Amino acid sequence: MTEIKNNSALILMKNISKSFFGNKVNTDVDFTLDAGEIHALLGENGAGKTTLMNMLTGVYFPDEGEIYFKGKKLNFKFPGEALKIGIGMVHQRFSLVGNLTVLENLILGHPDNKFVINIPEKKKLIKTYMDQFNFQVDLNAIVGELPIGLRQKVEILKMLVREVDVLIVDEPTTVLTKQEADNLMEILKSIAKTGKGIIFITHKMSEVFNIADKITVLRKGLKIATVDKDETNPRKLAKMMVGKESEATFERPKVDTKPGVVKIQKLFVNSDKGVLAVNDLSFEIAGGEIIGIAGVSGNGQVELADALTGNRDVIRGKILFKDDDITNDPPVKRIDKGVSYVPGDRIHVGVAGNQSVWENIIMKVYRLPLFKKGLLLNNKKLREYAEKIIEKYNIFLPSINLPALLLSGGNLQKLIIGREMERDCDLYVFVYPTRGLDVGATEFVRNAILQLRNQGKAVILISGDFDEIFGLSDKIAVMYEGQFTGIFNNGDHSLEEIGLMMSGCTEEEAVKEMTDV
Amino acid sequence: MYKIKLEQKERVSKREELIITLSAIGIAFVLSGIFIALNGVNPFVALWKVITSALGSPYGISETLVKAIPLIFTGLAVAIALNSKLWNIGAEGQLFFGATLATAFIIYGPVLSKPLELTVLVILGALGGALWAAIPALLKIKFKMNEVISTLLLNYVAINIADYFLFGHWKGKDNFPYTPEFPVEARFDRIGFGRLHTGLILALVLVVLLYILIYHTKTGYKMRLTGSSLKAAKYAGINIKKTMFMVFLMSGALAGLAGVSQICGIEYKLHQHISTGYGYTGIIVAWLARTNPFIIVIFAIFLSILLKGADSLQIAMRLPAAVGVVMQALILFAILGSELFKNYNVKLIRGK
Repeated sequence: MTEIKNNSALILMKNISKSFFGNKVNTDVDFTLDAGEIHALLGENGAGKTTLMNMLTGVYFPDEGEIYFKGKKLNFKFPGEALKIGIGMVHQRFSLVGNLTVLENLILGHPDNKFVINIPEKKKLIKTYMDQFNFQVDLNAIVGELPIGLRQKVEILKMLVREVDVLIVDEPTTVLTKQEADNLMEILKSIAKTGKGIIFITHKMSEVFNIADKITVLRKGLKIATVDKDETNPRKLAKMMVGKESEATFERPKVDTKPGVVKIQKLFVNSDKGVLAVNDLSFEIAGGEIIGIAGVSGNGQVELADALTGNRDVIRGKILFKDDDITNDPPVKRIDKGVSYVPGDRIHVGVAGNQSVWENIIMKVYRLPLFKKGLLLNNKKLREYAEKIIEKYNIFLPSINLPALLLSGGNLQKLIIGREMERDCDLYVFVYPTRGLDVGATEFVRNAILQLRNQGKAVILISGDFDEIFGLSDKIAVMYEGQFTGIFNNGDHSLEEIGLMMSGCTEEEAVKEMTDV
Repeated sequence: MYKIKLEQKERVSKREELIITLSAIGIAFVLSGIFIALNGVNPFVALWKVITSALGSPYGISETLVKAIPLIFTGLAVAIALNSKLWNIGAEGQLFFGATLATAFIIYGPVLSKPLELTVLVILGALGGALWAAIPALLKIKFKMNEVISTLLLNYVAINIADYFLFGHWKGKDNFPYTPEFPVEARFDRIGFGRLHTGLILALVLVVLLYILIYHTKTGYKMRLTGSSLKAAKYAGINIKKTMFMVFLMSGALAGLAGVSQICGIEYKLHQHISTGYGYTGIIVAWLARTNPFIIVIFAIFLSILLKGADSLQIAMRLPAAVGVVMQALILFAILGSELFKNYNVKLIRGK
């Protein structure tokens, strides 16, 4: 496959570190890319893949470390420079102008453009690339009217026309159908054959084995390993991606369960992009039970949580809560009926950041008659209520008048969880409840979740953290592309098997894969 | 070569915010001064003239306050919408539509006793403004149409509807486009200080009521949460669409009251110039005051000083009438520009 091979690497990244607001996103990462190579960058969301590539393209500057391109040290000042010297990236959100034609988009901003652009000549040039790599796109079509798969091809074509040596594609197949994805991978392979280096960011195992020559696995900002495709297998990669299995340190006393508190029947939910995110899902949750939902981010977990709590419309199917059909109830009704939600996006959904801490704490109780004073709100009583919760849940802050967005992640999550626990609901939905929290806050959150279970509440725990899933859950479900690839009792499957299910294997396939070796 | 680099600020303190706003006004004054100097007038003399004409005599003060009344109404109208992150650029049109509806009652309706007549006119004015605001509200909620454009364009429609009647059925006896003078029953009382009328009291009462509404009621809480974060408001169980619709109606009603206050308090008839752009100046008032009703009163007076002053400059110093508009525009421009400094640290760095 690699007919053209240079001795010196096309890209060499050495000891790269990068922090945002004190959080290390990349720590001491090395990365090399050879000409003609397709190098997959594998890792969960938040593993630091995109950040690493953004440093390669000059969007961010590394705090530490060096980047070499064709043996020359790079020192970008502005994001546009990377493309000028031949490093191009196709982002998850495309950078095309919807109102212009494909041709206009391809010419737009090209460095060779003079004041008057020789369009026929450009067209001829573009056609040669299209023929060489077998692109089928109508140059006169308006980009905004093209399906998403074609738009992506235009993006790639744009990079080719700019004659890049390095092409980075960031999770290109998430928006594509199976056929489109296969077609895309063929095109990428033929591009690599001409001596260009391709970096393919993904978290899908099947694609890695279809396309990559080499694979680098990142986890929590660290490089775990770089391996040749032929020297590895899905099982090894899955293990590298998710990390070590740790001992569960949580006591889960036996409690009497109340079956069928929540019944979900043939549920279909769309994502923001209008694509099916939850695809025909049916399951039940008992009171006194935690069901942990594992999976790579973006497989429909958040949409499921949103749909259960009324923050997203259900396309088809039913949600029964204590045998009451709540499928079409607006959020306010579900709040009153006892559905609680601790959303993954704390800052934008969990609180209204510009409003004060106390106004955020009363968010779900201010309507109660208890807080009325004639026609007005009893602000004094509401503040007292907020202060009570701050004390009870040990939220540290200088003043309850502080805007909520100034709280640290841990205190913010304590605020949200305190607010929700105090309401005494029957169903609690947690989404990434400990993401980004320090050890102390994490422990607080996990204990709170267990406490709810022990009180007989039904709990759904969506998490990317395996310590959490294994430590807290009574049942585990693995979600992949809107469906459960497995739902089983905690302890029935090993971490590696779950890792395989997260990449699309069914329960049986995962077990088979593990016993084959 | 030097390049400008922007770094996101985490938060700006109240004090910093005030300094930035005042600096922006200062810069707008300096630029206005240059504009005045280019017209051959000493800007310091002009500034003095503005201040003395607006505040230097009982007459000046009363006339300044007369101009502040509609600005309080329109300022409140725009601010209450801004409070929920909605832009009502249509206060001017809502003002005219409210005034037109009230005038229709005066022309076609029975003459009632004064208190009753005025109550009906105030209600109709508010209703007219609310109706006119309901159109962009529905367009936004049902079809996601941008309210900036729809409210702005509907201004021209409302003004033309008023013109249709003024040049048609309601034309005065001498064929000029204004209605006959209103009967005494349809006029606000003077309060004994120049042309100042009871519209001022109505405006101040509304300032207090709105303050209570925004900060001490469930409705106000919903409005503020909706303005702070749509997602969080939805999560908290608030019906966002309903809240937005209600805010639009209130905003329109307030602007409609500005219209009634002008025709019943000052002009005693409907004509084409009952508003000298009060609906637009209200945007500046609201933006300066940052949605706090009490501060709106202060900035409404500040801008009415400029309006009154600009009139005097025109008469006494033969400056073009545009001076007032230019000054307003420069203030808005500077204030909008100063937003950058509230959200970012601006640095100059050496680039290649």
